Amino acid sequence: MSALSRLPGRGRAVKSQTIRRGAGETALPYAMVAPLLVFIGALALYPTVKTAYGAFVHNDALDPPNHFAGFGNFQDVFNNSQVRDSLLNTGIYVIFGVVLSVGLGVFFGLLLQRKFRGRGIVLALMVLPWALPGVVEGVIWSWIYDPTFGVLNSALKTVGVIHNYQLWIGTHQLETIFFISLVQVWQITPLAAILVLASLQSIPSELYEAADVDGANGWQSIKRITLPLIRPGIAIAVVEGLVMSLNIFDQVYVLNAGATTGSSLMSETYQITFGNLNFGDGYALSLLATVTTIALSLLAVKIIYRKVEY
Amino acid sequence: MGATAELTRSGRRARSGRAGRGRYGWLRGVGIGALLLWSLFPVYWALNTSLQTNAQAQGSPPTWFPTHFVFSNYEAIFGVGPSSASTAGGVGQALLNSSIESLGATILTLVIAVVGAYAFARLRFRLRGFLFYIVLATLTLPVYATLIPIYAILTNLHLVNTYVGIIFVYTSGFLPLAMWIMYNMFQALPASIEEAAAIDGATTLQIFRRIVLPIVRPGMAAAAIITFLFGWGQFIFPLVLSSTNSTQPLTVALSALAGRHVVPYTMINAGAIVAIGVPAVIVFFLNRFIVDGIVAGSVK
Repeated sequence: MSALSRLPGRGRAVKSQTIRRGAGETALPYAMVAPLLVFIGALALYPTVKTAYGAFVHNDALDPPNHFAGFGNFQDVFNNSQVRDSLLNTGIYVIFGVVLSVGLGVFFGLLLQRKFRGRGIVLALMVLPWALPGVVEGVIWSWIYDPTFGVLNSALKTVGVIHNYQLWIGTHQLETIFFISLVQVWQITPLAAILVLASLQSIPSELYEAADVDGANGWQSIKRITLPLIRPGIAIAVVEGLVMSLNIFDQVYVLNAGATTGSSLMSETYQITFGNLNFGDGYALSLLATVTTIALSLLAVKIIYRKVEY
Repeated sequence: MGATAELTRSGRRARSGRAGRGRYGWLRGVGIGALLLWSLFPVYWALNTSLQTNAQAQGSPPTWFPTHFVFSNYEAIFGVGPSSASTAGGVGQALLNSSIESLGATILTLVIAVVGAYAFARLRFRLRGFLFYIVLATLTLPVYATLIPIYAILTNLHLVNTYVGIIFVYTSGFLPLAMWIMYNMFQALPASIEEAAAIDGATTLQIFRRIVLPIVRPGMAAAAIITFLFGWGQFIFPLVLSSTNSTQPLTVALSALAGRHVVPYTMINAGAIVAIGVPAVIVFFLNRFIVDGIVAGSVK
């Protein structure tokens, strides 16, 4: 650092530590970032601009030609009762998804906070659902939920919680959403737990020892020390849960199977675009969902995230 | 990073004897048991079902443990053996497609991300900050933002139903996270080694290849594994971008199998276990890199 910081303009902070280049290497950095920028530009930024533009163009394969439509596509989608249902459903998916995944994530994180024999193995096994494809999870849970042969029905009946086998998915809206959401929660909880655990690991143990000396019990030290200090981890877990549940599709596609009871914003967008071939309305919904996702993520970070100092 | 390295090391003693075990020790045992049951039971149940005959799987009470192993479901979905029917089959091709697409995307993503991240982390050039934030901003883009235009673009380029098309789309989607993970890895390195090499007359590329890359190998492993798992789990993009069996990955093939309502659940669960096998092996043996990668990719 010392040799470097004496050079003009090179010694700002650790953040911008750079190495010296020989003559004739000025083009090198651009060559190194060029492939990255080409991919991002062509298949992320350009498509996003196209979505924003397409939202205002009438583009329906069954009703040509295309023409500028102003807010016509937005009027279309808001006048569509199935879209309104899916908006409400997605709101419920988000509430279930965020509350359950973060709640369970904090619980699992606390369970794994202290070292014990075999913790590494428990952690590896806990991560498993996160690594599996959402569709595959939908498939294996749909067998668990099966109304005639499912193990959930048979287990709950044996224990006496239910008297008759239930149709968990497709009858009641809230119940359907809960059981589909649970499959996604199963997938994303490990992520929340890891984020919480990483925050927990950075809490100095002296804080607990001091609380112990002062006579605090277990619950008091969790409430007064642990929870406030893992806010950054929780904030990221909330944002991850928010984005995942706003985008829920795979589990809905498999478990809800085209019915409207548990349709989500994404499954409705897919249906309108690739089922009805109404690309304009699909773009309008996509733009709304994109803006909502980014706005809610920023809001969640602003509300929950606080820098912690020990 | 230190925190997670410690986190993934197993065993050793509890931090403080009294607070660690104490009155509530058994409670934690119950909690860990619940955690394991929740995390593993659905996978166990799929495995258990896949090893039964259809009649057995529909019996009541359920068969909790496979008594004798039936492999006919696996034979059927791979299109071999006596019970192979036109209803199932084709899982072999889908497994190959998943492997090619995920591996292809992982290699391409990693090469581009590592090179780009190094330039952003260590080299100075005009517009560096601006370009960096542009790339990072695409991390926040949900699927909605790009799905329909990507379908249109790939249709125009005649890349629908091709491996190249799918690999390009995956790569563009995974690049920001891989770049961010690698950027954080490079930032964590002390610059003094590179400076010393520069003073000794090494060129930037020599420093990058000979000195930096060997040090960040664990970080590259983390980025590669996470990218591969994302690729393996993709569904909506390949659903839209591959309409024929020749490029459909396991996820799309399996949802088609499950949606047909004539394929027995025992076979569908066998297909699910095939799709679970690869990520399960990765999680079990390379778990440390996954945890490191998740933390490096999300904190800060």
